[in-house]
Amino acid sequence: MLPDEIIAQLISEFQCRDQHIQYLAALYTAHLPSPSFLNVHGLTATGKSSILRSYFHLSGIPHAMINVRECVTARHLLERVVASSLDALDEHHDEKIDRRPYARTENLSALCVNLAKLLEGRGKFVLVLDAVDKLREAGGTLIAALGRLGESIPNLSLILTTTLPLPPSSLHHPSTPTLSFPPYTRPQLLAILTHNPPKTFLTAPSAEDSPDYTPDLAAEDDAWLWSRFISAVFDSLSKHTGRDLLSFRSCCMKLWRPFVEPVMSGQFGTRDFSRLIINRRHLFQLEDSVLDRIINTGETPTTNPLEPSTPSKKRIARTPAHALPFYTTHLLIAAYLASYNPSRTDITYFMKHTDKRKNRRRTTNTVANATKARKISRHLLTPSPFPLDRLLAIFRALLDGSVPQVADVYTQIATLTSLRLLVRAGAGSNDALEGGGRWRVGFGWEYVRALGRSVNLEVGEYLVGGVD
Amino acid sequence: MNLRRRKNERQSVSERANTTHTRNYPSDFRSTATCGRSKKSASDAVQQKIVDFISTATSSPDEPKFAIPAGLIVAGPSIASHGPFFQRLGQNIKDETNSAYVVLTSGESPNLKTLLKNLIKKVTSHVEDDDDDDLDRPASSRHGPKLLNYDLGHVQEWRKKNRVASIVIAFQDSEAFDAGLLADIVDLFNSWLDRLPFVLLFGIATSAESFEDRLAGRSLRYLEGEKFDVTQSDDIIEKIFSATVASTASRLHVGPNLCRRMLDRQKDHVQNVQDFCDGLKYAYMSHFYASYPTIFLRNGLAFEDLPAEAFEAARNLPSFRRLVEDKLEDGRPGNVRQLLESDQHLFQQITKSMETGQHALSTLSHAAQVLFSIRASLQISPSIRLSSMWTRAAAGDMVGSPILRETMLSIKKISSDKFVDLLAALSSLHGDFFNMDLDTLQQELNSLIEKNDTSAPLRTQHDVRNDSLRTTVVAQKVLLSKHKAALSEQDRAYSDLVGRFHDQLEEYFESAFIDPQSIFLSEVLIYDLKSPHTEVFQPKPRFAIERALATPHDYLGCDCCSGVDGNEAALAATQPATAIVYQMYVESGALINVSDLWSAFNAIAGDGEEDNEPKTMALFQRALAELKYIGLVKPSRKKTDHVSKIMWKGL
Ligand SMILES: Nc1ncnc2c1ncn2[C@@H]1O[C@H](COP(=O)(O)OP(=O)(O)OP(=O)(O)O)[C@@H](O)[C@H]1O
Ligand SMILES: [Mg+2]
Repeated sequence: MLPDEIIAQLISEFQCRDQHIQYLAALYTAHLPSPSFLNVHGLTATGKSSILRSYFHLSGIPHAMINVRECVTARHLLERVVASSLDALDEHHDEKIDRRPYARTENLSALCVNLAKLLEGRGKFVLVLDAVDKLREAGGTLIAALGRLGESIPNLSLILTTTLPLPPSSLHHPSTPTLSFPPYTRPQLLAILTHNPPKTFLTAPSAEDSPDYTPDLAAEDDAWLWSRFISAVFDSLSKHTGRDLLSFRSCCMKLWRPFVEPVMSGQFGTRDFSRLIINRRHLFQLEDSVLDRIINTGETPTTNPLEPSTPSKKRIARTPAHALPFYTTHLLIAAYLASYNPSRTDITYFMKHTDKRKNRRRTTNTVANATKARKISRHLLTPSPFPLDRLLAIFRALLDGSVPQVADVYTQIATLTSLRLLVRAGAGSNDALEGGGRWRVGFGWEYVRALGRSVNLEVGEYLVGGVD
Repeated sequence: MNLRRRKNERQSVSERANTTHTRNYPSDFRSTATCGRSKKSASDAVQQKIVDFISTATSSPDEPKFAIPAGLIVAGPSIASHGPFFQRLGQNIKDETNSAYVVLTSGESPNLKTLLKNLIKKVTSHVEDDDDDDLDRPASSRHGPKLLNYDLGHVQEWRKKNRVASIVIAFQDSEAFDAGLLADIVDLFNSWLDRLPFVLLFGIATSAESFEDRLAGRSLRYLEGEKFDVTQSDDIIEKIFSATVASTASRLHVGPNLCRRMLDRQKDHVQNVQDFCDGLKYAYMSHFYASYPTIFLRNGLAFEDLPAEAFEAARNLPSFRRLVEDKLEDGRPGNVRQLLESDQHLFQQITKSMETGQHALSTLSHAAQVLFSIRASLQISPSIRLSSMWTRAAAGDMVGSPILRETMLSIKKISSDKFVDLLAALSSLHGDFFNMDLDTLQQELNSLIEKNDTSAPLRTQHDVRNDSLRTTVVAQKVLLSKHKAALSEQDRAYSDLVGRFHDQLEEYFESAFIDPQSIFLSEVLIYDLKSPHTEVFQPKPRFAIERALATPHDYLGCDCCSGVDGNEAALAATQPATAIVYQMYVESGALINVSDLWSAFNAIAGDGEEDNEPKTMALFQRALAELKYIGLVKPSRKKTDHVSKIMWKGL
């Protein structure tokens, strides 16, 4: 393909990136020399990976592109560089390179040797390491050393993509060529998304019902409605929550079906945008569509379309889905109290012979006091660690009657630890019940309150300072 | 791994137990087998849903996916039963979908590298089970660059040969996985999703919401799926209970005390189906191993098969003694003499009593079932579980109990529409152990209903809706008086019918709810010992240590340590040094001055002579070291010469 054709195709595929595509085309052509190193950087979803991939795919330059996210260690990256370079050369030259000399690439110098051997006497080769800053277990000098690969292997062009520009200090080089992919602006985002609008009608209205509603007309209507819809979504939601292309797009996609529902049902015409948006305004007021969740409840509020619902602030109650055994529940409550009450107050709260109610809530809640020393409510602080015996003591104090000292109690503590409801503080040994360890709770106030209510115990009454 | 080994051991123990008795006692083998079966059926519906989810998730393999299909399986807090659950799930998935299935646990996945190594090992070794000639490695590994052993490329290569539609990876105990590790894994799998069709399953003990809370928004975006709620374990236990303990087919009955103990333990401590089954198996096993007369439980036993000791053992049973006393009271000494002297005679008596005893116990179980289904059909609240109803019946205190009385009262008031339902429910229970003449009742009821020309159901005379309140003003006081409304002809006939049904039922319950302890050979038919069970399933390690140290005399049983002047609690020099130090330890506060402790110890254990002090010191140091080893004290940095106390007695 001729360079101009490539550019034209890419520009039609990726809007608002004309300049970057031109740059790439200027820097990497089959016959002219290319820079030995380039740092492509930009925030997430700015099209770095996709544009590079499409460009090199179309340009026909021998290249290998490695997604560094898939590499677990630095060694893994090095091995993959060699392996995919071999694959790429095999494919490009339609030959079978003898792979035996390249069996191992343990470290950077081995990479250097292997690549030099591999590329010796060949033409230009482009190596793209995508998202190189996402490498797990990367050593400090890896990127600097990669940056210098081009010095020893003249026909290698290396491209590193990162989220932030690589600082000269990490490359040990005063100036390196960079190509920046800036985040898309509002008009750019809208322009990209308007490119292919989704359909309003999942199944086109049958020809008998509306003979003059042709597919062309439908597409025109879709585009018209969609462009207005996405700018409304951007201004109301995405502007504040996720401005990158992907979250914006997913948000629009989530809202589109519920939004056009009245149009589908025939309540409004396809061009009734202003009435539609008033009718569906709750969609733009709720936060549901911008939250990421695994379980897609898919429930669009099934309200009467004539009566748009007001945003409801209902929250899913954080109650345990499965009822815990009786003593386990008390253990958890005891653990919470041990974490959030200072140990010196235990006597006041848990001595059997004093009247508990009298001693509770000693804080004086006068307005003057409250303003003078504005204290943070205890349950908002991080839990503090406690020794195991304190937990057991509070546990026994919470229960009426005695609990036999059976091993089941310890089994439960170990179980709760593996559920991360109890957490061992500090680097302990593997044995969950080793003496002298300190613990902490791994759940919050709402959970413990629900637990307490399931066994008729108001946890707030035992908490120092009380809860409002 | 460890877990699997333990499971196998357990299995082999129970198998051994089963095989020893299978030949002799087929029915008990059956009931332990039912344990597994009913456990299975209880979670089958959920498993089917999960399998369906996986097959729909992988139905269009070529379509590009943006998120990994993920199933959140809320399996409840009994993590010990997650293992068997995921194992069975794997079997179902492999049977019904074309998938590879791997279970990962947190124990074997401390970090990303190890997790991937395990994953690859498990996925790729699936083939070797199926066909062995597939062993030769890919060419690239012999010559060119080898893939590292944590490179998912291995899986990709494996998939080239085994075109599975999906690779299902189950994180059995997702809570115990490090949150960062999960995020890494999700990120990695997502970038491989265009080449490897992953499906993830997360076993969750707490709730799906708290699982979502632990992951960052970025990981959540890469996952998309459904939530599956596994049946609550107490429902499963209820099913197992009615299939085993309360079943009429079982020959050996587990007694009420043991049952109550096992059920309470479920409620209070563990909630673990596996554990309940183990408890039952252990009960059956201990019965047969520990009690000689259980040999009579064998089916089709002939007199010649039995050694004389068996009869001797039977003669020593308390219930035999009761039988003898009863017979003497009846004035049949001749019969008693025969029982005592002739084995043949005793054998006949035992065979007969065995049969009647079995029948009586089965009837009792069945009657509990009948009572339960009556309550269920009439929707009497509070709803009482079958297990607790059965336990009460088996303890012999059902007759005259409030539950029974309340149930019988509501039967008196039953209206005809409910009566139809009740009869339908009861007819499924009709059989050897419940042979009331339901058919006639049904016919009479049908004809009454046919004759009923109003749309309202027929009512009995006890129904409150047939009462009306009448107010009269007598001497400026309002009097309320109840009046029976006049009963229609049909209602009267209906009341009559219900009355008969009530009487028959009452009679049945009275004859069925006997006191099981009163029957001859109840020791053989019923196993109700609690101590082997508590020792095995609910040991008290800390209590045992504390008690041994606090009162060593109980264990040593020697004369010298029995206390000073009859006071058992007093410290004596003859007690073991560790016990002496421990008792002083119990009395001290959180920080203990070692030098004070030493002087106290020296005052008790030493003999006051300067020369012997090094010896006493050695004893003291060893005692303190032992306490430290047990984990009672640890060196303290708060104060010099002090140790801190870590454990308090009685917690
Ligand atoms: N100008 C554009 N026109 C059309 N689609 C685009 C454009 N820019 C990005 N996209 C789309 O956005 C998605 C994300 O792009 P891409 O993966 O290339 O981003 P990235 O910069 O590599 O992000 P990251 O830094 O997270 O790796 C792709 O599906 C891509 O097709
Ligand atoms: Mg990218």
